[in-house]
Amino acid sequence: MLMLEVRDLNLYYGGFQALIDITLHVERDQIVSILGSNGAGKSTLLKAISGLLKPSSGTIHYNGGRIDHLDPHEIVRLGLALVPEGRKIFSSLTVLENLLIGSYVPEARRTKDEQLENVFELFPRLRERKGQLGSTLSGGEQQMLAIGRALMSQPHLIVFDEISLGLSPVIVQHLYQAVNRIKEKGMVVVLVEQDVKRSLKTADFAYILQEGKISLKGNPRDFTDEEVKKAYFGL
Amino acid sequence: MFTFLEPLINGLLLGGLYAAIGIGLSMVFGIMRQVNLAHGELMILASYFSLIFVQLLGLPPLLTFLFVLPATFILGYLIQIFLFNRVLEKGMESYLMISFGLSIILQNAMLLIFTPDARTLKTGLVIKSLNVFDLFHVPVIYLVDCAAGFLVLGLIHLMMKKTYLGWAIRAASDNLTAARLMGINPKRVYALAMGMAVITAAISGVLVGMTFTFYPHSGTQYLIIAFGVVIIGGLGSLPGTFLGGLILGVSQLVGGRIIGPGFQLLSGYIILLIVLTIRPQGLLGRK
Repeated sequence: MLMLEVRDLNLYYGGFQALIDITLHVERDQIVSILGSNGAGKSTLLKAISGLLKPSSGTIHYNGGRIDHLDPHEIVRLGLALVPEGRKIFSSLTVLENLLIGSYVPEARRTKDEQLENVFELFPRLRERKGQLGSTLSGGEQQMLAIGRALMSQPHLIVFDEISLGLSPVIVQHLYQAVNRIKEKGMVVVLVEQDVKRSLKTADFAYILQEGKISLKGNPRDFTDEEVKKAYFGL
Repeated sequence: MFTFLEPLINGLLLGGLYAAIGIGLSMVFGIMRQVNLAHGELMILASYFSLIFVQLLGLPPLLTFLFVLPATFILGYLIQIFLFNRVLEKGMESYLMISFGLSIILQNAMLLIFTPDARTLKTGLVIKSLNVFDLFHVPVIYLVDCAAGFLVLGLIHLMMKKTYLGWAIRAASDNLTAARLMGINPKRVYALAMGMAVITAAISGVLVGMTFTFYPHSGTQYLIIAFGVVIIGGLGSLPGTFLGGLILGVSQLVGGRIIGPGFQLLSGYIILLIVLTIRPQGLLGRK
């Protein structure tokens, strides 16, 4: 069964059409990558999926149910979590409080202690800093916190929006190891990235966006460099 | 030197009450970035509501909390749901106008229903006073006011620190988008926060009604006190609100002792202006 299905999605941002006839799907046990240069529409697509923006036409189905008309707080209750672009952690909350608020949805509260342990195991650095305010963490630690926070909601599908942005290669390596471990635990992973090489290595399936449209899709191992460049920049 | 001990101690005690008056305004600003101009009227509404039970059932004012608190919580919740949630994310002007309109409606409603007569919530605590080492007197009601102030702020602090609702409120205040992605429904959380802010207004309203006389128009002077507390202490800071209350209380009473009893309010405002000049964000303010 399809975990996530986007069909013929169109979205207008003011007068400008940010998404044009987007159709993509994500199956169970997959890591799917969504790539594209700045302004290609990746973030807009994720905002539509997570409910922050409403599409003008087209549908989004999650686990068989339609979600394109739902509010973000309803969507996360269904098991779809987003690690937002720019991390967006809560700066006046401590690391621990940031994680605990991740388990806000009633379904996740029961297992919060167990989930907390899992997150600390995945990111020991967070355990060390659990009493610290979110704003005092480094970029890499904030990214770990944002991921941990999303995990606390017990999602079945988790979307990572540009987790490598502004971080050093060593930290990005560590984060991607965590992403792989998350996939091994049975969650479906959608990676949105500008870092092409890394995400093409990790993904089972990839979509490349260009100016709001899907310009290339398929198994990334089959892509040639030429194809990717063309899909990215349209030259 | 001892002549200042009485206004100092009493000012501190009164400051506890002022902190309780200010916390509701501070919460609404800290959480929703809005200024509720009806805050004073909501306080006095609670005073009148308590009055009804005191006169109808002969209850001591403090016991009326049993009825007043749940009722005002629901009122605050409904006000947020049906009035203020309609203008979420639409800037401050709409909210200011709605809250101003609400204050006018409430004031006039109270005037119509209760007449302009001076009222008070009669309690034996007002007459009693403590004789402290023969140096000065402390009205017992001031002790009750201060204790209530501590209690209110303490409970709010605990709620913010230790409950899911508290974390949700703080998260929504830090980053609303991210909060929504956590499953937080802004409309519902704001309504609960408003309910709590109005409860604090109700508590301070009843205490004010016990400590001083009140009229339908008394809301305005307490709104100004709330502003004073929040400006001095700092917007969005709970310890700041407490500090602001203490400083305002002491400024009023000590200033009144130095300059003259009619100058209490002025002394408070002078200190307010000084703080506004040298540290506009308030002593402990950050936003």
